[in-house]
Amino acid sequence: MLETVTQAVINGLLIGGIYALVSIGVTLIFGVVKIVNFAQGEFVMIGMYITFFLATQLGMDPIVSLVVSMPVLFVIGLGVQHFLIRRVLGLNDLPQIFLTFALSLLILNVALMVLTPNYRTLHTSYSDAALHFGGFYVPVAKLIAFGVAMLLSAILWVFLHTTDLGRAMRAASQNRDVAQLMGINPHRVFAVALGIALALAGAAGSLLMPFYPAYPMVGQVFVLMAFVAVVLGTLGNVMGALVASLLMGIAESLGIQFIGADSGLIVVFLLLLITLAVKPSGLAA
Amino acid sequence: MNFSARINAVLAVLLAALIALPLAVTSNFAYDILIRILLFAFIGTSWNLLGGYAKQFSLGHAAFFGLGAYTSSLLQINYGVSPWLGMLAGGVVAMLASLPIGWLCFRLRGPYFTIATIATAQVLMLVFLKFRDFAWGAEGTTMPNLGSAPLMMQFEGKAPYYYVALGLLLLSLVVTFYISRSRTGYYLLALGEDQDAAEAVGIDVPGEKRNIFMVSAFLTAMGGTFYVQYIYFIDPNTAFNFDVSIKAALVSIVGGVGTLFGPLIGTVLLETTAALLQSWLGNQAGVQVTVYALILMAIILWRPTGIMGFAKEFLLRKKLRATP
Repeated sequence: MLETVTQAVINGLLIGGIYALVSIGVTLIFGVVKIVNFAQGEFVMIGMYITFFLATQLGMDPIVSLVVSMPVLFVIGLGVQHFLIRRVLGLNDLPQIFLTFALSLLILNVALMVLTPNYRTLHTSYSDAALHFGGFYVPVAKLIAFGVAMLLSAILWVFLHTTDLGRAMRAASQNRDVAQLMGINPHRVFAVALGIALALAGAAGSLLMPFYPAYPMVGQVFVLMAFVAVVLGTLGNVMGALVASLLMGIAESLGIQFIGADSGLIVVFLLLLITLAVKPSGLAA
Repeated sequence: MNFSARINAVLAVLLAALIALPLAVTSNFAYDILIRILLFAFIGTSWNLLGGYAKQFSLGHAAFFGLGAYTSSLLQINYGVSPWLGMLAGGVVAMLASLPIGWLCFRLRGPYFTIATIATAQVLMLVFLKFRDFAWGAEGTTMPNLGSAPLMMQFEGKAPYYYVALGLLLLSLVVTFYISRSRTGYYLLALGEDQDAAEAVGIDVPGEKRNIFMVSAFLTAMGGTFYVQYIYFIDPNTAFNFDVSIKAALVSIVGGVGTLFGPLIGTVLLETTAALLQSWLGNQAGVQVTVYALILMAIILWRPTGIMGFAKEFLLRKKLRATP
């Protein structure tokens, strides 16, 4: 019994690292730009397909393809901010919510047209490999994904706390108007926030590819997880989102283990609803 | 004739045309499009009460659509209750369900309210998928075919379904008309603009949101009952489909949120576009929603008030030019 629980916790923690990359992006955008990016999952999907095609066309390893997927999505992030989000800042909720929602529908359905709904899987040398620690089973691909995810999160944390641009981003997320008075250029800060958030989504996509199939709708699972994590971890709080994501990975995994294969999402959503009922301001508040 | 009398005359002619339309329609394909337009205009109008007037943007109205569909189907198949009664029962179930759902979701504002509504609809779908012995599970079930049985909401031919859908749409328009002219309507507009300011002037914001959510849920559930009766089939994926939630919001935004006829105009535009695309490109996956998404983006970036807002502006400009 205890062993089953521990194994489920290990599995959940590892996938939680991927959820963390997606939800840190969502919470960063929300904190700095005050926009919820409904399309974050679609950027994970784009990252997956970039990695898939680099691997199948050029034989590039998924982990190496991070050096392509992250910069490409960073640039897409700058574009999304410059051409779309910038135009709805300061307006009311409706354009702010439905602009990124429309973007999500657009990317998803263009992908359906161009890439077809077929599942694409990538098989690497380490896709089936696993380490054994005293009877516990740790899949290598997931372990790498978790490790890189934690490393990227740590780099982001250092960036936010030690560089001028990072401090400017945190200042803008605390109080946009005062930050502007202090000479912070909001559009530059917003663009960088979008770029970083999308780069993290792209990284999540690349890291998923060795053990997760790519298909146009794949992002929806991750974006729902990210939304729940962001609420759980208190809106706009990067550390909160990270911890909440890991907890959710574990909750989902325990749900799958003990209630049934299709109940992982129920557990996670129930977690969200319970949080809303008991502590709507999130766990970190 | 003054302006509002002219508008009333136009509306009367339009209504007469809608009632007479089945005399001219012969193909089932055309009926299908018309019925879909009426049904989604009805659901959009119901969504608009909460989303358009109170500006609480739900993307979880499939929850109520599905509850309406399942309530009437369970009552009909297990107890032989007429779907006409089931439709009302479904409305009541959805209305009651809106209380805990609202209690939870209204704790969040803006985009996070929207996300919480998505989560509740998903939970309901997963519950109906998971608990197989309760309501047929993932396989769903077909409705018993009784031939021509108007008392059981089953008809020969499509014209009667058209009239039922038209009746639903008129119901939602009448409800919206009266609410928007009532004290409640102004309260909703006020809290939609600024919840804190509305509270400060003494409006019971949580109470008003709860009440309009109940009305919106009741009406949406009636649409769910009608839909399963029309297609003779129910499963969790049909009843709680995210597309229903999306479309309810989409038609309202494109037509113009917080206006009486916005959702209807939005539905006519989007469904006609969809039908044209289908006849032109066939059923290629993704084409239809891609076009929807582009229309939605264009509206948001250039005309956030929707087609109705555009029309109003146009009429106002004409009037200003006419007065010396």
